[in-house]
Amino acid sequence: MKTKELICIVCPNGCQLEADIIEGKEATVTDIRGSRCDKGIPWAEQEIMSPMRTIASNVAVEGGDFPLVSVRTDSPIPLECIMDVMREIKALRLKAPVSIGDHLIKNPAGTTCNIIATRNVNPVK
Amino acid sequence: MNTIKRELVVIGGGPAGLSAAVAARKSGCKDILLIERDRILGGILNQCIHDGFGLHKFGDAFTGPEYAQRYIDEFKDLGIEAAMGTIVVSIDQERNLYVSSRKGFARIEAGAVVLSMGCRERTAGAISLPGTRPAGIYTAGAAQNLINLQNIMVGERVAIMGSGDIGLIMARRLTLEGAKVEGVFEILPYPSGLARNIQQCLNDYAIPLYLGTSVIEVHGRGRLTGITVAQIDENNNPVAETERFVSCDTLLLSVGLIPENELSRGASVEMEDSTNGACVDDALMTSIPGIFSCGNVLHVHDLVDYVSDEAEKAGKFAVKYLDGGIASSDKVIRVEPKDGVRYVLPQKIRGDRDFLLSLRVSEPCWDKAVWVKVGNRKVARKKLVRLHPAEMIRIKVRAEKLNGAEALEVSLE
Amino acid sequence: MSNQYDVIIIGAGVVGNAIARELSRYCLNIAVLEKEPDVGMGTSSRNSGVLHSGIHYKPGSLRARLNVRGNALMGDLCRDLKVKIQYIGKLTVAQDEVDVATLHALKEQGEANGVPGLEILNAGQMRKLQPGVGGIQALHSPTTGIICPYGLTMALAESAHTNGVDFFLGHDVCAISREEKGFEIKTSNGKGFKSPVLINSAGLFSDGICRMLGIDEYKIYPCRGEYLILDKRLEGTLSVLVYPAPRKNGAGLGIHLTNTVDGNILIGPSNEYVDDPEDYACTADVIGTLKREGHELLPGLSTSDFIRNFSGLRSKQTPPEVKGFKDFVVEKRKDIPGFINLVGIESPGLTSSPAIAAMVKDLVAEEFPLQEKDSFVAERPGRLGFFHELPPEEKAQLVAEDSDYGEIICRCEQITKKEILDAINNPLGSRTIAGIKYRARAMMGRCQGGFCLPRIVQILEKEFGYKPEDYLLDSKGSYLFTKNIR
Repeated sequence: MKTKELICIVCPNGCQLEADIIEGKEATVTDIRGSRCDKGIPWAEQEIMSPMRTIASNVAVEGGDFPLVSVRTDSPIPLECIMDVMREIKALRLKAPVSIGDHLIKNPAGTTCNIIATRNVNPVK
Repeated sequence: MNTIKRELVVIGGGPAGLSAAVAARKSGCKDILLIERDRILGGILNQCIHDGFGLHKFGDAFTGPEYAQRYIDEFKDLGIEAAMGTIVVSIDQERNLYVSSRKGFARIEAGAVVLSMGCRERTAGAISLPGTRPAGIYTAGAAQNLINLQNIMVGERVAIMGSGDIGLIMARRLTLEGAKVEGVFEILPYPSGLARNIQQCLNDYAIPLYLGTSVIEVHGRGRLTGITVAQIDENNNPVAETERFVSCDTLLLSVGLIPENELSRGASVEMEDSTNGACVDDALMTSIPGIFSCGNVLHVHDLVDYVSDEAEKAGKFAVKYLDGGIASSDKVIRVEPKDGVRYVLPQKIRGDRDFLLSLRVSEPCWDKAVWVKVGNRKVARKKLVRLHPAEMIRIKVRAEKLNGAEALEVSLE
Repeated sequence: MSNQYDVIIIGAGVVGNAIARELSRYCLNIAVLEKEPDVGMGTSSRNSGVLHSGIHYKPGSLRARLNVRGNALMGDLCRDLKVKIQYIGKLTVAQDEVDVATLHALKEQGEANGVPGLEILNAGQMRKLQPGVGGIQALHSPTTGIICPYGLTMALAESAHTNGVDFFLGHDVCAISREEKGFEIKTSNGKGFKSPVLINSAGLFSDGICRMLGIDEYKIYPCRGEYLILDKRLEGTLSVLVYPAPRKNGAGLGIHLTNTVDGNILIGPSNEYVDDPEDYACTADVIGTLKREGHELLPGLSTSDFIRNFSGLRSKQTPPEVKGFKDFVVEKRKDIPGFINLVGIESPGLTSSPAIAAMVKDLVAEEFPLQEKDSFVAERPGRLGFFHELPPEEKAQLVAEDSDYGEIICRCEQITKKEILDAINNPLGSRTIAGIKYRARAMMGRCQGGFCLPRIVQILEKEFGYKPEDYLLDSKGSYLFTKNIR
């Protein structure tokens, strides 16, 4: 058995967690300590199996009151997919208007998330 | 020159100003003018495109623009007026403001004023960074603005001085844009930013964090060519033979935020050294009757959720003041930070209603309790597992427990 | 093909520009060659901004003569050029009897130099002028003043330009050859210039220019002075300049406080010889010393009052082991006809600049019969000072006339979009960020551009078509950005 230290990223509290793990082909988590709320436990299990992250970035917009629209993943994606998802975000070109919540890319890099707009970009004449 | 009269003027359209204005309208104030120097509302949230905002208030991890939009929508739905692209040049003790915009230079007589101007970043000059002055040195927030709002990349090989949250967020942001972040150098033995940001912004991308280490010299003539870093001892001096050169073309500074109180000082508002903000009472009113202060201009917050909460109160109390419900009172209870507490707000309590104290500890510690006492008598207590200067602590105090006290002491035990 | 001129001036510092502007009164074709992308980027913008009275220099020396004359000329010049100047006076303070003797010697020397109004004050009289000053006596020199050093340098250049002088910025002189009639000058960007009269006002690099002409007798020893700039919060703390009485073997005038015409206070300068004439670094040791001195001299100082540090270099002719001062060199070379040589113009070069220009004009007159132009315009257009210094009614009026005055871009210094546009559109065509800073004062406040740099970038992009690669901070290679992120 091994003990792994984690910093929970679910909320700004940043609890320092300790997880006991039995290593094998697929690790088994036997205990998680240190979480100040009930969200930390499933997060830590997930973190040990396959870390997931939300990422935020920008997409180019033509003809808008901003040159970029800020975007994010609408659900966490595997940590190792971040750079692949970024490549698709960087390649995308949009035309204004873009509205907050618009789905801009479906399942980037084969993930199950969508890339959504997080601000409004209005067209300029 | 135009002179106009307004009941309530809110200065700044960031999270604090928006929340104060919305709360004031909901409390019944019809005549509100919010003054914003930018062309958009939302303030600094517009450039904070990362997520993690609103967990306390909305139970969801919004990005900065999304968090702002919720308030902007509410602000607009309530039909509150905003003067955009307008800057307040000065305020006096009688709440007369001079404002400037493309539409004109005007005078406003305000019944009450909410100060919600936010904060600014400490600069290389403010920390007297030794070395040359090449191009390529930015405060983290200025770089964030350039990248996220103006589509401009600041450099390719980046060092970050200070481990404040904006610096950590920018380490990740720059990495995702293809820059190589050589390291984050923090003079203190512990990070200044939130633990979760150390994990998801540095550890996730294998960006090294060097604690007890600082930038002691900047090199380069036209553009930055590198920095010298060294370990720093407890007297703030570099430790011999720990100096090393880090080659980089960009240095971001994340070395602290300073409340933007030049207007407040101009209005002769009493200031507090430990926060660089105004001294306020439990109605968030400053020493000048009718002038309120909230958000990062009052003290630098860790979470925008708490900014919104605080500003909501300031908005409500400003309306109460306009309605004649806040008499100026000579008898106030002083609140004093003691052992282990860096600062505590508000500094003055009227004692006629329950209130919330906001405080920060001086250094990281574990398993301690925040005590609020009158002499030796306990008034409130909050036990915490982990206490960190990066995190604000809030503690509720009930008025009935005060019992005619003259001073409250807040300490760690 | 080389550009042909009557007079070529190397170096667009305050002295070169003063000469250019003085000569622009006459029917001459004049060019100024400057290696940096803007004028005044060396010693001229990196000093205390003090207008000296002339008490410190030996009677009969060039420094003494040019200082006193320059001081007298400066008032009218600044009025014409709309440059900020204030004759606030100076106290040179004695702490002991040795210093008192120094004060009397200085007074005598100053009077011999023709400095008006000198007076020895007792402690009471001295504290009436500046409350809180420690010391037993002081020498008061009422003609000492403060001036905006880069403002003067840029205004001289703009006035010269208006009167027909060509400025070649970013033109670094790399070779000079003598021709039958005058000189051929090559710059490192591959341009060539010819003129019968060549004036060396290259400051820290003047010895290098000499060597290009085979003159080996001069060597410049750059001597660095570091400063700290204090927040405007302290504006009004000083009503008069206060210097310690000079002590033996000092290379400068000692660390002191100087108020600037824009309301900041400077602490400095230090004194340290360096090898490199462009070594503008600031050092941890000196910063520490200046802060300590600052706290001693200004008890109300808080750590958050330090907003920036900078350094400048004195072009000294005396090596570190000698220290002290050597007289200015302003000479017409007999061995090289047409070459007017200025070497070692350190302090009081700023004060002396109009007098040096007049002297050089007389030297040029020996080469050409100078004929005055009818078209010479002495006054620079525009207004003295900044929008934020105006009373509210005038501000309202200006905004009503031009809405660009209503848009404040730099919040710390309250600098308007109009002032920034004027700086970008400067007649010399300099487009660096530092050029905007020195002209409009944007980015000079307590946030040091954290807030307004992105907004100035937006103006340059939207209204002047800048691409990310186009932004230059101050010197060659000082690019600010690399690319668009998308």
